[in-house]
Amino acid sequence: MDLLNQLETILESDPLIDEVGLIHPSQFITLSKECSESSNSSADGAFRPANTKFWNRDHKLGISTEILLPVCKAAKSAFMDAMEQYKTHSDLSVNKHEDKNMVYPSSSCQSFESEVMKHSRALLLLSCDLGTAWNARKLVVSKKQQLPMFTDELHLSALVLSYSHKSEQAWSHRRWVIKMIAGKYSNLQQIIAKESELVEKIAERSKMNYRAWNHRCWLVSYMTREQMLYELKKSRDWAGLHVADNSCFHYRRRLMLGISENKQGDDPSYDVENYQVVKEELDLNEALIKRYIGREALWLHRRFLSLCLIRHWMTTTDGISCHSTSMANEINIFLDKELCLLDPCSTIQDMEFEDFEAQAIYSTMYFLWLIKQIPEFRKIELQEKLKAGNLKNILHKTCPERSFLWDVLEL
Amino acid sequence: MAELAVDKHVKYILAVEKNKDSFESVVMDHLRMNGAYWGLTALDLLGKLDSVNVDEVISWILKCQHESGGFSGNIGHDPHILYTLSAVQVLALFNKLDVLDIDKVATYITGLQNEDGSFSGDMWGEVDTRFSYIAICCLSILCCLGKINVEKAVSYILSCKNLDGGFGCTPGGESHAGQIFCCVGALALTGSLHYVDKDLLGWWLCERQVKSGGLNGRPEKLPDVCYSWWVLSSLIMIDRVHWIDKEKLVKFILDCQDVENGGISDRPDDAVDVYHTYFGVAGLSLLNYPGLKAIDPAYALPVDVVNRIFFSG
Ligand SMILES: [Zn+2]
Repeated sequence: MDLLNQLETILESDPLIDEVGLIHPSQFITLSKECSESSNSSADGAFRPANTKFWNRDHKLGISTEILLPVCKAAKSAFMDAMEQYKTHSDLSVNKHEDKNMVYPSSSCQSFESEVMKHSRALLLLSCDLGTAWNARKLVVSKKQQLPMFTDELHLSALVLSYSHKSEQAWSHRRWVIKMIAGKYSNLQQIIAKESELVEKIAERSKMNYRAWNHRCWLVSYMTREQMLYELKKSRDWAGLHVADNSCFHYRRRLMLGISENKQGDDPSYDVENYQVVKEELDLNEALIKRYIGREALWLHRRFLSLCLIRHWMTTTDGISCHSTSMANEINIFLDKELCLLDPCSTIQDMEFEDFEAQAIYSTMYFLWLIKQIPEFRKIELQEKLKAGNLKNILHKTCPERSFLWDVLEL
Repeated sequence: MAELAVDKHVKYILAVEKNKDSFESVVMDHLRMNGAYWGLTALDLLGKLDSVNVDEVISWILKCQHESGGFSGNIGHDPHILYTLSAVQVLALFNKLDVLDIDKVATYITGLQNEDGSFSGDMWGEVDTRFSYIAICCLSILCCLGKINVEKAVSYILSCKNLDGGFGCTPGGESHAGQIFCCVGALALTGSLHYVDKDLLGWWLCERQVKSGGLNGRPEKLPDVCYSWWVLSSLIMIDRVHWIDKEKLVKFILDCQDVENGGISDRPDDAVDVYHTYFGVAGLSLLNYPGLKAIDPAYALPVDVVNRIFFSG
């Protein structure tokens, strides 16, 4: 049996494969040994000690690095041929559509389709960014419009993502499937929840994965308010354990914006809840900033949170002019408190520890950024605070290469 | 400081095309059109475009065009807007835009604009601000930008702006230097840069420079040569390039060269590839490195090529 055939047979006989990986030829021996120790029966169908090309056990598939090139080439040419035949055939059947006695019986159409599906699956496991192969599957599946087929596509793309975490095409294929089934089948909320879990699983194995988190951000537009609040709660611990992962914090920002924009009617309790959400995040952020010294993502996250809070104060004093005293008070207290975050940085004389140096830079830049974003009429008052806080000197000391930003502020 | 190994890089780029039997080249085969753009633009910036056979390239490109007007990454693959721009850019490099049925290409691109002003990458509907840039850049080169709804295209791009001043793939997407280049480029080409808070965006961009002098594409990431292009071109377009240390960046890029066999990698001592070779050379061109042709930050084509399109017709 040729290599491609072997691979496709394995894929057909074990539809539950959920992980694919490459195996160096030398690893086959080790794996075989481990296997014969753990299972007494070497007659196990899935266990092929003689096979040093593919490894299939416990729904895991290993492919030998040695055969990667030939099997990939074979899969590609088989797929291209199948696609050619499929297209020629569907063109013919379209032309003959009015004539009820089609030249080709529908069974032959199905066999072309299944060839396309079979070969594209094998091919995508070996060359995951081949858009044409993903497209071919979209074409076949969209003609059928059957839920199980759509679900199969989600399974295949998850399988590809199990070893190629950043495959843009695989992520995009999922979005296409979700858009196709959204609205038609009532389990959308369930699908969204599952997708979110998948991203978290992959993000755990592949740090700062833009494509994965971008997918999760995209899901937010399909979420209900309750779901967004739940997701925010659920990803809290993860964020605390991955403080360098800006993407995770961005996801939280996306959720918070989603929550604040989600106003059904004019329920004032939502405003209170929105404020609470930002406030809690700010507290969490402060705790993390103090525990993990010098993390850029944490300080950038704080920029967003502070800005949200200031904007909140400015809009919720509705009806009253923006010079309202209660708002001015709130902002004043807040800024005083934020300025305290700078204190430890200005007193650190010894910059030999890289983390502390980074902390000093990020905190200084944080405050400068906040000044830039604060509305005009607040600035004079702020200037007084800054003199007291000695910000200009700190800036020159900690990051002279960014000193020009002082002039940008036009203070 | 090390110098740019021009001859070695030319040799490397020309050799890449010939090595067709590695696993890497088989899995990259479907985006050969992008590869052609990277390699050929780099060659042109290095002043060596005349070392390739023009007719061969042109006839191959035309074989990649589909009935719809779009181009695929290689013969036998599906068309996509990504490859369509590369095809048009390569034809522009060779001053061969006249081989194109311009209406046909323009029809393909205008057909991909959605109701909200965004663009899909192909008939399957994935939306991304990258595709907005590509559509706008491509139509500008073909001098028919008026065929799309520019106002809506611009307002969609602006809807992808974040509070940090950067842009993402879709509304609410994380800021990323590559996406920022696309959005700023599209806004520049449509005369809409006044919608951007240049200080705020410049702030985010200049914070991409790390200690080694290299630029990263997002916070907390390692520096990478390709971001020399994405970040730098954006800074130039918004007139904030003096906010980074250019000398240190030049040194970082030069440190990523393979001075023996040619080619540039993402970081010092990594394996080289055509993609990073192009972006390294293009970055140096933006930094006015001596001996290189100047590159246009919005069109991502040599300045003389852009001038030829707009001032010699
Ligand atoms: Zn790169």
